[in-house]
Amino acid sequence: MSREALQESLSAVMDNEADELELRRVLNAFDDVETRETWARYQIARAVMHKDLLLPRLDIAAAVSAALADETVPVKATRGPWRSLGRLAVAASVTVAVLAGVRLYNQDEIAGVELAQQSNQPGLAVPQVKGPAVLAGYSESSEATGPMANGVLQGQPGWHDQRLPSYLRQHAQEAALKGTESALPYARAASLENR
Amino acid sequence: MRAIPLLSLLLSGWFVAPAHADEAQDWLTRLGHAEQTQSFNGTFVYERNGSFSTHNIWHRVQDGKVRERLLQLDGSAQEVVRVDGHTQCVSGTLIAGLGESSKSAARALDPQKLKNWYEIAVIGKSRVAGRSAVIVALTPRDQHRYGFELHLDKETGLPLKSLLLNDKGQLLERFQFTQLNTSDVPSDTDLQPGADCKVIAVDGNKASAANVAQSWHSDWLPPGFELVSSSAHKDPQTKAQVNSLMYDDGLARFSVFLEPLNGAAVTDTRTQLGPTVAVSRRLTTPQGEIMVTVVGEIPIGTAERIALSMRTDATAVK
Repeated sequence: MSREALQESLSAVMDNEADELELRRVLNAFDDVETRETWARYQIARAVMHKDLLLPRLDIAAAVSAALADETVPVKATRGPWRSLGRLAVAASVTVAVLAGVRLYNQDEIAGVELAQQSNQPGLAVPQVKGPAVLAGYSESSEATGPMANGVLQGQPGWHDQRLPSYLRQHAQEAALKGTESALPYARAASLENR
Repeated sequence: MRAIPLLSLLLSGWFVAPAHADEAQDWLTRLGHAEQTQSFNGTFVYERNGSFSTHNIWHRVQDGKVRERLLQLDGSAQEVVRVDGHTQCVSGTLIAGLGESSKSAARALDPQKLKNWYEIAVIGKSRVAGRSAVIVALTPRDQHRYGFELHLDKETGLPLKSLLLNDKGQLLERFQFTQLNTSDVPSDTDLQPGADCKVIAVDGNKASAANVAQSWHSDWLPPGFELVSSSAHKDPQTKAQVNSLMYDDGLARFSVFLEPLNGAAVTDTRTQLGPTVAVSRRLTTPQGEIMVTVVGEIPIGTAERIALSMRTDATAVK
Protein backbone atom coordinates (compact mmCIF):
# COMPACT_ATOMS: atom_id res chain seq x y z
CA MET A 1 0.00 0.00 0.00
CA SER A 2 1.25 3.43 -0.79
CA ARG A 3 2.42 5.80 1.87
CA GLU A 4 -0.01 8.45 0.63
CA ALA A 5 -3.04 6.24 0.92
CA LEU A 6 -2.09 5.34 4.46
CA GLN A 7 -1.53 8.95 5.44
CA GLU A 8 -4.85 9.83 3.92
CA SER A 9 -6.49 7.12 5.99
CA LEU A 10 -4.64 8.30 9.08
CA SER A 11 -5.94 11.81 8.71
CA ALA A 12 -9.43 10.46 8.05
CA VAL A 13 -9.28 8.43 11.26
CA MET A 14 -8.09 11.47 13.15
CA ASP A 15 -10.95 13.57 11.83
CA ASN A 16 -13.40 10.85 12.71
CA GLU A 17 -14.30 10.54 9.06
CA ALA A 18 -12.78 7.19 8.32
CA ASP A 19 -14.90 4.38 7.06
CA GLU A 20 -14.49 0.84 8.22
CA LEU A 21 -11.90 -0.04 5.64
CA GLU A 22 -9.69 2.91 6.41
CA LEU A 23 -9.86 2.24 10.10
CA ARG A 24 -8.80 -1.32 9.51
CA ARG A 25 -6.02 -0.22 7.23
CA VAL A 26 -4.68 2.11 9.90
CA LEU A 27 -4.97 -0.47 12.66
CA ASN A 28 -3.09 -2.98 10.54
CA ALA A 29 -0.34 -0.52 9.84
CA PHE A 30 -0.02 0.56 13.44
CA ASP A 31 2.66 -1.94 14.28
CA ASP A 32 4.91 0.10 12.10
CA VAL A 33 6.94 2.71 14.00
CA GLU A 34 6.84 5.14 11.13
CA THR A 35 3.07 5.04 11.04
CA ARG A 36 2.87 5.72 14.75
CA GLU A 37 5.20 8.66 14.36
CA THR A 38 3.13 10.07 11.54
CA TRP A 39 0.07 9.65 13.72
CA ALA A 40 1.78 11.49 16.55
CA ARG A 41 2.78 14.32 14.23
CA TYR A 42 -0.77 14.64 12.98
CA GLN A 43 -2.00 14.82 16.53
CA ILE A 44 0.44 17.60 17.34
CA ALA A 45 -0.48 19.45 14.18
CA ARG A 46 -4.10 19.25 15.13
CA ALA A 47 -3.41 20.23 18.69
CA VAL A 48 -1.63 23.34 17.44
CA MET A 49 -4.47 24.18 15.13
CA HIS A 50 -6.94 23.79 17.97
CA LYS A 51 -4.67 25.71 20.35
CA ASP A 52 -4.80 22.67 22.53
CA LEU A 53 -1.18 21.82 23.07
CA LEU A 54 -1.60 19.40 25.93
CA LEU A 55 -1.92 16.33 23.74
CA PRO A 56 1.15 14.41 24.83
CA ARG A 57 3.29 12.72 22.27
CA LEU A 58 3.32 9.41 23.98
CA ASP A 59 4.27 6.17 22.53
CA ILE A 60 2.42 4.39 25.28
CA ALA A 61 1.73 1.39 23.12
CA ALA A 62 5.42 0.75 22.54
CA ALA A 63 6.36 1.48 26.14
CA VAL A 64 3.71 -0.86 27.49
CA SER A 65 4.67 -3.61 25.05
CA ALA A 66 8.27 -3.26 26.12
CA ALA A 67 7.34 -3.40 29.78
CA LEU A 68 5.22 -6.47 29.19
CA ALA A 69 7.97 -8.15 27.23
CA ASP A 70 10.28 -7.69 30.18
CA GLU A 71 7.83 -9.30 32.51
CA THR A 72 8.96 -12.76 33.48
CA VAL A 73 6.32 -15.40 33.10
CA PRO A 74 5.02 -16.00 36.61
CA VAL A 75 5.71 -19.45 37.90
CA LYS A 76 2.48 -21.06 38.98
CA ALA A 77 3.76 -22.72 42.09
CA THR A 78 5.04 -19.56 43.70
CA ARG A 79 2.37 -18.12 45.85
CA GLY A 80 2.97 -15.46 48.34
CA PRO A 81 4.09 -11.91 48.68
CA TRP A 82 6.68 -12.14 45.90
CA ARG A 83 4.11 -12.62 43.19
CA SER A 84 2.15 -9.51 44.01
CA LEU A 85 5.40 -7.66 44.37
CA GLY A 86 6.30 -8.77 40.87
CA ARG A 87 3.04 -7.45 39.56
CA LEU A 88 3.64 -4.23 41.35
CA ALA A 89 7.02 -4.01 39.71
CA VAL A 90 5.52 -4.43 36.26
CA ALA A 91 2.87 -1.82 37.01
CA ALA A 92 5.57 0.48 38.26
CA SER A 93 7.68 -0.02 35.17
CA VAL A 94 4.67 0.81 32.99
CA THR A 95 4.07 3.94 35.01
CA VAL A 96 7.68 4.92 34.63
CA ALA A 97 7.44 4.35 30.91
CA VAL A 98 4.39 6.57 30.71
CA LEU A 99 5.96 9.27 32.83
CA ALA A 100 9.16 9.10 30.82
CA GLY A 101 7.08 9.52 27.71
CA VAL A 102 5.51 12.65 29.12
CA ARG A 103 8.90 14.04 30.06
CA LEU A 104 10.28 13.29 26.65
CA TYR A 105 7.34 14.94 25.08
CA ASN A 106 7.72 18.05 27.15
CA GLN A 107 11.36 18.29 26.21
CA ASP A 108 10.61 17.85 22.62
CA GLU A 109 10.20 21.13 20.90
CA ILE A 110 7.77 21.19 18.11
CA ALA A 111 9.65 22.33 15.12
CA GLY A 112 7.79 24.80 13.01
CA VAL A 113 9.27 23.31 9.89
CA GLU A 114 7.90 19.92 10.72
CA LEU A 115 4.45 21.33 11.22
CA ALA A 116 4.56 23.22 8.00
CA GLN A 117 5.49 20.07 6.20
CA GLN A 118 2.74 18.12 7.84
CA SER A 119 0.08 20.66 7.10
CA ASN A 120 0.74 20.11 3.44
CA GLN A 121 0.61 16.39 3.78
CA PRO A 122 -3.09 15.78 4.37
CA GLY A 123 -3.80 17.16 0.91
CA LEU A 124 -5.79 14.38 -0.63
CA ALA A 125 -4.30 12.56 -3.53
CA VAL A 126 -5.55 14.27 -6.61
CA PRO A 127 -6.97 11.70 -8.99
CA GLN A 128 -5.05 11.18 -12.16
CA VAL A 129 -7.16 13.10 -14.56
CA LYS A 130 -6.20 12.58 -18.13
CA GLY A 131 -9.07 13.85 -20.19
CA PRO A 132 -10.12 17.50 -20.13
CA ALA A 133 -13.75 16.48 -20.49
CA VAL A 134 -13.61 14.81 -17.10
CA LEU A 135 -11.80 17.71 -15.54
CA ALA A 136 -14.64 20.08 -16.31
CA GLY A 137 -17.02 18.44 -13.90
CA TYR A 138 -14.51 17.72 -11.23
CA SER A 139 -14.77 19.70 -8.03
CA GLU A 140 -12.20 19.50 -5.32
CA SER A 141 -14.59 20.31 -2.50
CA SER A 142 -16.55 17.13 -2.95
CA GLU A 143 -13.39 15.13 -2.45
CA ALA A 144 -12.93 16.65 0.97
CA THR A 145 -16.08 15.03 2.26
CA GLY A 146 -14.52 11.62 1.94
CA PRO A 147 -15.08 8.69 -0.33
CA MET A 148 -18.67 8.22 0.71
CA ALA A 149 -20.91 11.22 0.90
CA ASN A 150 -23.96 9.92 2.66
CA GLY A 151 -25.18 7.53 0.06
CA VAL A 152 -24.93 10.00 -2.76
CA LEU A 153 -23.20 8.83 -5.88
CA GLN A 154 -20.02 10.79 -5.64
CA GLY A 155 -16.66 10.89 -7.31
CA GLN A 156 -15.90 11.24 -10.95
CA PRO A 157 -18.95 12.35 -12.85
CA GLY A 158 -19.56 10.82 -16.21
CA TRP A 159 -18.40 7.26 -16.43
CA HIS A 160 -19.70 6.08 -13.08
CA ASP A 161 -22.87 8.15 -13.23
CA GLN A 162 -23.63 6.36 -16.42
CA ARG A 163 -22.76 2.85 -15.27
CA LEU A 164 -23.55 2.57 -11.59
CA PRO A 165 -27.34 2.98 -11.81
CA SER A 166 -27.50 0.24 -14.41
CA TYR A 167 -25.15 -1.99 -12.39
CA LEU A 168 -27.22 -1.49 -9.25
CA ARG A 169 -30.40 -2.21 -11.16
CA GLN A 170 -29.03 -5.32 -12.77
CA HIS A 171 -27.77 -6.60 -9.44
CA ALA A 172 -31.11 -5.99 -7.75
CA GLN A 173 -33.05 -7.62 -10.55
CA GLU A 174 -30.88 -10.69 -10.71
CA ALA A 175 -31.03 -10.93 -6.94
CA ALA A 176 -34.81 -10.82 -7.15
CA LEU A 177 -34.66 -13.76 -9.53
CA LYS A 178 -32.28 -15.79 -7.43
CA GLY A 179 -33.61 -15.11 -4.01
CA THR A 180 -36.28 -16.95 -2.16
CA GLU A 181 -37.45 -13.78 -0.45
CA SER A 182 -38.46 -12.39 -3.81
CA ALA A 183 -40.27 -9.28 -2.57
CA LEU A 184 -37.23 -7.83 -0.80
CA PRO A 185 -34.83 -7.60 -3.77
CA TYR A 186 -37.71 -6.30 -5.86
CA ALA A 187 -38.30 -3.53 -3.31
CA ARG A 188 -34.57 -2.75 -3.37
CA ALA A 189 -34.65 -2.50 -7.15
CA ALA A 190 -37.74 -0.31 -7.05
CA SER A 191 -36.20 1.99 -4.46
CA LEU A 192 -33.32 2.68 -6.83
CA GLU A 193 -35.75 4.03 -9.39
CA ASN A 194 -37.28 6.49 -6.97
CA ARG A 195 -34.30 8.77 -6.80
CA MET B 1 -30.54 -31.95 48.13
CA ARG B 2 -29.75 -28.48 47.00
CA ALA B 3 -27.80 -29.89 44.09
CA ILE B 4 -30.83 -31.45 42.45
CA PRO B 5 -32.61 -28.31 41.24
CA LEU B 6 -29.27 -26.93 40.15
CA LEU B 7 -28.51 -30.10 38.25
CA SER B 8 -31.88 -30.14 36.53
CA LEU B 9 -31.42 -26.51 35.65
CA LEU B 10 -28.06 -27.27 34.11
CA LEU B 11 -29.43 -30.27 32.26
CA SER B 12 -32.40 -28.36 30.91
CA GLY B 13 -30.04 -25.65 29.77
CA TRP B 14 -28.01 -28.31 28.03
CA PHE B 15 -31.02 -29.62 26.14
CA VAL B 16 -32.75 -26.34 25.47
CA ALA B 17 -29.87 -24.67 23.66
CA PRO B 18 -29.68 -27.09 20.71
CA ALA B 19 -33.46 -27.27 20.63
CA HIS B 20 -33.52 -23.52 20.08
CA ALA B 21 -31.13 -23.74 17.19
CA ASP B 22 -33.18 -26.54 15.64
CA GLU B 23 -36.33 -24.54 16.12
CA ALA B 24 -34.79 -21.59 14.30
CA GLN B 25 -33.77 -23.85 11.43
CA ASP B 26 -37.26 -25.30 11.28
CA TRP B 27 -38.62 -21.80 10.95
CA LEU B 28 -36.28 -21.07 8.07
CA THR B 29 -37.34 -24.29 6.39
CA ARG B 30 -40.94 -23.23 6.85
CA LEU B 31 -40.12 -19.85 5.34
CA GLY B 32 -38.63 -21.60 2.31
CA HIS B 33 -41.75 -23.70 1.87
CA ALA B 34 -44.25 -20.95 2.63
CA GLU B 35 -43.67 -19.01 -0.55
CA GLN B 36 -44.05 -22.17 -2.61
CA THR B 37 -47.25 -23.32 -0.94
CA GLN B 38 -49.08 -20.33 0.50
CA SER B 39 -51.27 -17.86 -1.40
CA PHE B 40 -51.47 -14.38 0.05
CA ASN B 41 -51.86 -10.73 -0.70
CA GLY B 42 -50.81 -7.73 1.31
CA THR B 43 -49.14 -4.37 1.58
CA PHE B 44 -45.59 -3.79 2.72
CA VAL B 45 -43.21 -0.90 3.24
CA TYR B 46 -39.56 -0.78 2.27
CA GLU B 47 -37.23 1.66 3.93
CA ARG B 48 -33.55 2.34 3.56
CA ASN B 49 -31.30 5.37 3.89
CA GLY B 50 -32.91 7.99 1.67
CA SER B 51 -35.88 5.98 0.49
CA PHE B 52 -39.27 4.91 1.78
CA SER B 53 -41.87 3.22 -0.41
CA THR B 54 -45.07 1.21 -0.14
CA HIS B 55 -45.96 -1.80 -2.26
CA ASN B 56 -48.72 -4.27 -2.86
CA ILE B 57 -48.09 -7.95 -3.42
CA TRP B 58 -50.36 -10.66 -4.79
CA HIS B 59 -48.99 -14.18 -4.55
CA ARG B 60 -50.94 -17.17 -5.79
CA VAL B 61 -50.00 -20.83 -5.65
CA GLN B 62 -52.28 -22.87 -7.86
CA ASP B 63 -51.71 -26.25 -9.51
CA GLY B 64 -48.07 -26.08 -8.48
CA LYS B 65 -47.56 -22.79 -10.29
CA VAL B 66 -46.47 -19.73 -8.35
CA ARG B 67 -47.75 -16.52 -9.83
CA GLU B 68 -46.79 -13.22 -8.27
CA ARG B 69 -47.47 -9.55 -8.96
CA LEU B 70 -45.78 -6.66 -7.19
CA LEU B 71 -46.88 -3.06 -7.57
CA GLN B 72 -45.45 0.07 -6.01
CA LEU B 73 -48.24 2.18 -4.55
CA ASP B 74 -46.52 5.54 -4.20
CA GLY B 75 -44.54 7.51 -6.77
CA SER B 76 -44.20 5.78 -10.10
CA ALA B 77 -46.30 2.64 -10.51
CA GLN B 78 -43.48 0.15 -10.74
CA GLU B 79 -44.59 -3.34 -11.39
CA VAL B 80 -43.26 -6.86 -11.81
CA VAL B 81 -45.14 -10.01 -12.70
CA ARG B 82 -43.44 -13.36 -12.21
CA VAL B 83 -44.44 -16.91 -12.86
CA ASP B 84 -42.43 -19.64 -11.12
CA GLY B 85 -39.59 -17.23 -10.54
CA HIS B 86 -39.37 -16.19 -14.18
CA THR B 87 -40.06 -12.53 -14.83
CA GLN B 88 -42.92 -12.09 -17.30
CA CYS B 89 -43.09 -8.35 -17.46
CA VAL B 90 -41.70 -5.29 -15.71
CA SER B 91 -42.75 -1.66 -15.84
CA GLY B 92 -40.70 0.81 -17.90
CA THR B 93 -38.23 2.08 -15.33
CA LEU B 94 -37.40 -1.31 -13.88
CA ILE B 95 -36.26 -2.66 -17.25
CA ALA B 96 -32.80 -4.12 -17.13
CA GLY B 97 -30.62 -6.10 -19.44
CA LEU B 98 -31.60 -9.45 -18.10
CA GLY B 99 -29.62 -12.04 -19.86
CA GLU B 100 -29.03 -15.71 -19.31
CA SER B 101 -29.89 -15.51 -15.63
CA SER B 102 -33.59 -14.96 -16.25
CA LYS B 103 -33.69 -18.58 -17.34
CA SER B 104 -32.36 -20.14 -14.21
CA ALA B 105 -34.62 -20.85 -11.29
CA ALA B 106 -34.38 -19.42 -7.82
CA ARG B 107 -32.39 -21.27 -5.19
CA ALA B 108 -34.12 -22.58 -2.14
CA LEU B 109 -33.19 -21.40 1.32
CA ASP B 110 -30.95 -24.01 2.90
CA PRO B 111 -30.68 -23.68 6.69
CA GLN B 112 -28.06 -26.44 6.87
CA LYS B 113 -25.78 -24.46 4.62
CA LEU B 114 -26.62 -21.11 6.13
CA LYS B 115 -25.64 -22.17 9.62
CA ASN B 116 -22.04 -22.47 8.48
CA TRP B 117 -21.93 -18.72 7.93
CA TYR B 118 -24.64 -17.45 10.25
CA GLU B 119 -25.62 -18.21 13.78
CA ILE B 120 -29.33 -18.96 13.54
CA ALA B 121 -31.48 -18.52 16.63
CA VAL B 122 -35.01 -17.72 17.70
CA ILE B 123 -34.64 -14.58 19.77
CA GLY B 124 -38.20 -13.76 20.67
CA LYS B 125 -41.74 -13.03 19.66
CA SER B 126 -43.29 -10.01 18.05
CA ARG B 127 -46.41 -8.75 16.38
CA VAL B 128 -46.35 -7.46 12.82
CA ALA B 129 -49.29 -6.44 10.62
CA GLY B 130 -51.66 -7.56 13.36
CA ARG B 131 -50.26 -11.10 13.37
CA SER B 132 -48.07 -12.88 15.87
CA ALA B 133 -44.58 -13.54 14.69
CA VAL B 134 -41.43 -15.37 15.72
CA ILE B 135 -38.15 -13.49 15.50
CA VAL B 136 -35.31 -15.44 13.93
CA ALA B 137 -31.89 -13.79 14.03
CA LEU B 138 -29.17 -14.68 11.55
CA THR B 139 -25.95 -13.36 13.02
CA PRO B 140 -22.92 -13.52 10.73
CA ARG B 141 -19.99 -15.63 11.93
CA ASP B 142 -17.47 -13.36 10.21
CA GLN B 143 -17.21 -9.73 9.13
CA HIS B 144 -17.97 -10.43 5.48
CA ARG B 145 -21.76 -10.33 5.64
CA TYR B 146 -24.57 -8.51 7.36
CA GLY B 147 -26.97 -9.85 9.93
CA PHE B 148 -30.67 -10.45 9.36
CA GLU B 149 -33.57 -10.27 11.73
CA LEU B 150 -36.60 -12.05 10.32
CA HIS B 151 -40.06 -11.83 11.83
CA LEU B 152 -41.91 -14.88 10.54
CA ASP B 153 -45.66 -15.33 10.66
CA LYS B 154 -46.51 -17.98 13.28
CA GLU B 155 -49.39 -19.25 11.22
CA THR B 156 -47.78 -19.56 7.78
CA GLY B 157 -44.04 -18.98 8.14
CA LEU B 158 -44.14 -16.05 5.72
CA PRO B 159 -41.67 -13.23 6.36
CA LEU B 160 -43.66 -10.35 7.87
CA LYS B 161 -40.66 -8.21 8.56
CA SER B 162 -37.01 -8.36 7.61
CA LEU B 163 -34.27 -6.12 8.97
CA LEU B 164 -30.71 -5.92 7.71
CA LEU B 165 -28.13 -4.94 10.32
CA ASN B 166 -24.46 -4.09 10.06
CA ASP B 167 -21.75 -5.15 12.52
CA LYS B 168 -22.52 -2.18 14.75
CA GLY B 169 -26.17 -3.17 14.91
CA GLN B 170 -27.25 -0.23 12.78
CA LEU B 171 -30.33 -0.74 10.66
CA LEU B 172 -29.55 -0.74 6.95
CA GLU B 173 -32.97 -1.54 5.57
CA ARG B 174 -36.44 -2.49 6.67
CA PHE B 175 -39.00 -4.60 4.86
CA GLN B 176 -42.27 -4.86 6.72
CA PHE B 177 -45.81 -5.89 5.97
CA THR B 178 -48.50 -3.52 7.21
CA GLN B 179 -51.34 -5.80 6.18
CA LEU B 180 -51.39 -9.44 5.11
CA ASN B 181 -54.25 -11.63 4.02
CA THR B 182 -53.57 -15.34 3.77
CA SER B 183 -57.15 -16.58 3.63
CA ASP B 184 -58.20 -15.30 0.20
CA VAL B 185 -56.56 -16.53 -2.97
CA PRO B 186 -55.77 -13.62 -5.35
CA SER B 187 -58.00 -13.61 -8.42
CA ASP B 188 -56.93 -13.50 -12.06
CA THR B 189 -57.71 -9.78 -12.19
CA ASP B 190 -55.45 -9.14 -9.22
CA LEU B 191 -52.60 -10.86 -11.02
CA GLN B 192 -53.28 -9.19 -14.36
CA PRO B 193 -50.33 -6.97 -15.28
CA GLY B 194 -51.01 -3.28 -15.84
CA ALA B 195 -50.75 -1.62 -19.23
CA ASP B 196 -47.26 -0.26 -18.49
CA CYS B 197 -45.82 -3.65 -17.66
CA LYS B 198 -43.65 -4.53 -20.62
CA VAL B 199 -42.99 -8.11 -21.58
CA ILE B 200 -39.37 -9.03 -20.99
CA ALA B 201 -37.32 -9.40 -24.12
CA VAL B 202 -34.73 -12.07 -23.60
CA ASP B 203 -31.25 -10.82 -24.27
CA GLY B 204 -29.98 -12.45 -27.45
CA ASN B 205 -26.37 -12.12 -26.45
CA LYS B 206 -26.08 -15.47 -24.74
CA ALA B 207 -23.24 -17.15 -26.52
CA SER B 208 -20.54 -15.30 -24.65
CA ALA B 209 -22.18 -15.67 -21.25
CA ALA B 210 -20.80 -19.14 -20.72
CA ASN B 211 -17.29 -17.85 -21.29
CA VAL B 212 -17.52 -15.18 -18.62
CA ALA B 213 -17.23 -17.61 -15.77
CA GLN B 214 -14.28 -19.26 -17.47
CA SER B 215 -12.37 -16.14 -18.32
CA TRP B 216 -12.76 -14.46 -14.92
CA HIS B 217 -12.24 -15.68 -11.41
CA SER B 218 -11.61 -14.20 -8.01
CA ASP B 219 -8.43 -14.98 -6.09
CA TRP B 220 -10.33 -14.40 -2.90
CA LEU B 221 -13.99 -14.77 -2.00
CA PRO B 222 -15.59 -14.38 1.40
CA PRO B 223 -16.17 -17.86 2.85
CA GLY B 224 -19.38 -19.51 1.68
CA PHE B 225 -19.97 -17.38 -1.38
CA GLU B 226 -20.36 -19.31 -4.62
CA LEU B 227 -20.84 -18.32 -8.21
CA VAL B 228 -24.54 -18.64 -9.04
CA SER B 229 -24.76 -16.99 -12.42
CA SER B 230 -22.79 -15.19 -15.04
CA SER B 231 -23.85 -13.16 -18.00
CA ALA B 232 -22.54 -10.93 -20.74
CA HIS B 233 -24.52 -8.23 -22.38
CA LYS B 234 -24.06 -5.09 -24.42
CA ASP B 235 -25.06 -1.92 -22.72
CA PRO B 236 -27.63 -0.31 -25.03
CA GLN B 237 -26.37 3.19 -24.23
CA THR B 238 -22.62 2.82 -24.21
CA LYS B 239 -22.37 -0.16 -26.59
CA ALA B 240 -19.79 -1.60 -24.27
CA GLN B 241 -19.62 -5.29 -23.50
CA VAL B 242 -20.27 -5.81 -19.79
CA ASN B 243 -19.57 -9.14 -18.15
CA SER B 244 -21.18 -9.91 -14.85
CA LEU B 245 -20.84 -12.61 -12.24
CA MET B 246 -23.16 -13.15 -9.30
CA TYR B 247 -22.22 -14.85 -6.05
CA ASP B 248 -24.25 -15.74 -2.99
CA ASP B 249 -23.88 -17.47 0.35
CA GLY B 250 -27.47 -18.67 0.35
CA LEU B 251 -28.78 -15.37 1.68
CA ALA B 252 -26.57 -12.40 0.84
CA ARG B 253 -25.58 -11.67 -2.74
CA PHE B 254 -23.13 -9.59 -4.67
CA SER B 255 -22.43 -9.03 -8.36
CA VAL B 256 -19.15 -8.29 -10.07
CA PHE B 257 -19.30 -6.23 -13.26
CA LEU B 258 -16.37 -6.13 -15.65
CA GLU B 259 -16.25 -3.50 -18.31
CA PRO B 260 -13.35 -2.48 -20.56
CA LEU B 261 -12.40 1.16 -20.10
CA ASN B 262 -11.20 1.68 -23.66
CA GLY B 263 -8.85 4.41 -22.58
CA ALA B 264 -11.37 6.38 -20.56
CA ALA B 265 -9.86 8.18 -17.57
CA VAL B 266 -11.85 7.04 -14.58
CA THR B 267 -11.06 7.00 -10.90
CA ASP B 268 -11.88 4.31 -8.38
CA THR B 269 -15.05 5.00 -6.41
CA ARG B 270 -16.95 3.71 -3.44
CA THR B 271 -20.67 4.25 -2.90
CA GLN B 272 -23.16 3.09 -0.31
CA LEU B 273 -26.89 3.16 -1.00
CA GLY B 274 -28.64 1.87 2.08
CA PRO B 275 -27.70 -1.82 2.25
CA THR B 276 -26.08 -1.89 -1.16
CA VAL B 277 -22.46 -1.02 -1.70
CA ALA B 278 -20.72 -0.34 -5.00
CA VAL B 279 -16.93 -0.39 -5.24
CA SER B 280 -15.14 0.31 -8.51
CA ARG B 281 -11.48 -0.41 -9.12
CA ARG B 282 -9.34 -0.30 -12.22
CA LEU B 283 -7.60 -3.48 -13.21
CA THR B 284 -4.84 -3.63 -15.76
CA THR B 285 -4.97 -6.75 -17.90
CA PRO B 286 -3.07 -7.76 -21.01
CA GLN B 287 -6.23 -6.84 -22.94
CA GLY B 288 -6.26 -3.31 -21.57
CA GLU B 289 -7.73 -1.60 -18.55
CA ILE B 290 -10.89 -3.07 -17.09
CA MET B 291 -13.15 -1.44 -14.52
CA VAL B 292 -14.14 -3.97 -11.88
CA THR B 293 -17.29 -2.97 -9.98
CA VAL B 294 -18.58 -4.99 -7.05
CA VAL B 295 -22.23 -4.34 -6.17
CA GLY B 296 -24.00 -6.07 -3.33
CA GLU B 297 -25.40 -6.26 0.15
CA ILE B 298 -22.05 -6.85 1.82
CA PRO B 299 -19.75 -4.69 3.98
CA ILE B 300 -17.67 -2.20 2.03
CA GLY B 301 -14.33 -3.67 3.12
CA THR B 302 -15.33 -7.06 1.79
CA ALA B 303 -16.48 -5.56 -1.51
CA GLU B 304 -13.18 -3.75 -1.83
CA ARG B 305 -11.21 -6.92 -1.24
CA ILE B 306 -13.23 -8.80 -3.85
CA ALA B 307 -12.72 -6.00 -6.36
CA LEU B 308 -8.97 -6.23 -5.75
CA SER B 309 -8.98 -10.00 -6.19
CA MET B 310 -10.58 -10.32 -9.60
CA ARG B 311 -8.29 -11.93 -12.16
CA THR B 312 -8.62 -12.74 -15.79
CA ASP B 313 -7.77 -16.16 -17.16
CA ALA B 314 -7.96 -15.00 -20.75
CA THR B 315 -4.24 -15.36 -21.26
CA ALA B 316 -4.25 -18.85 -19.86
CA VAL B 317 -6.99 -19.92 -22.27
CA LYS B 318 -5.09 -18.70 -25.29
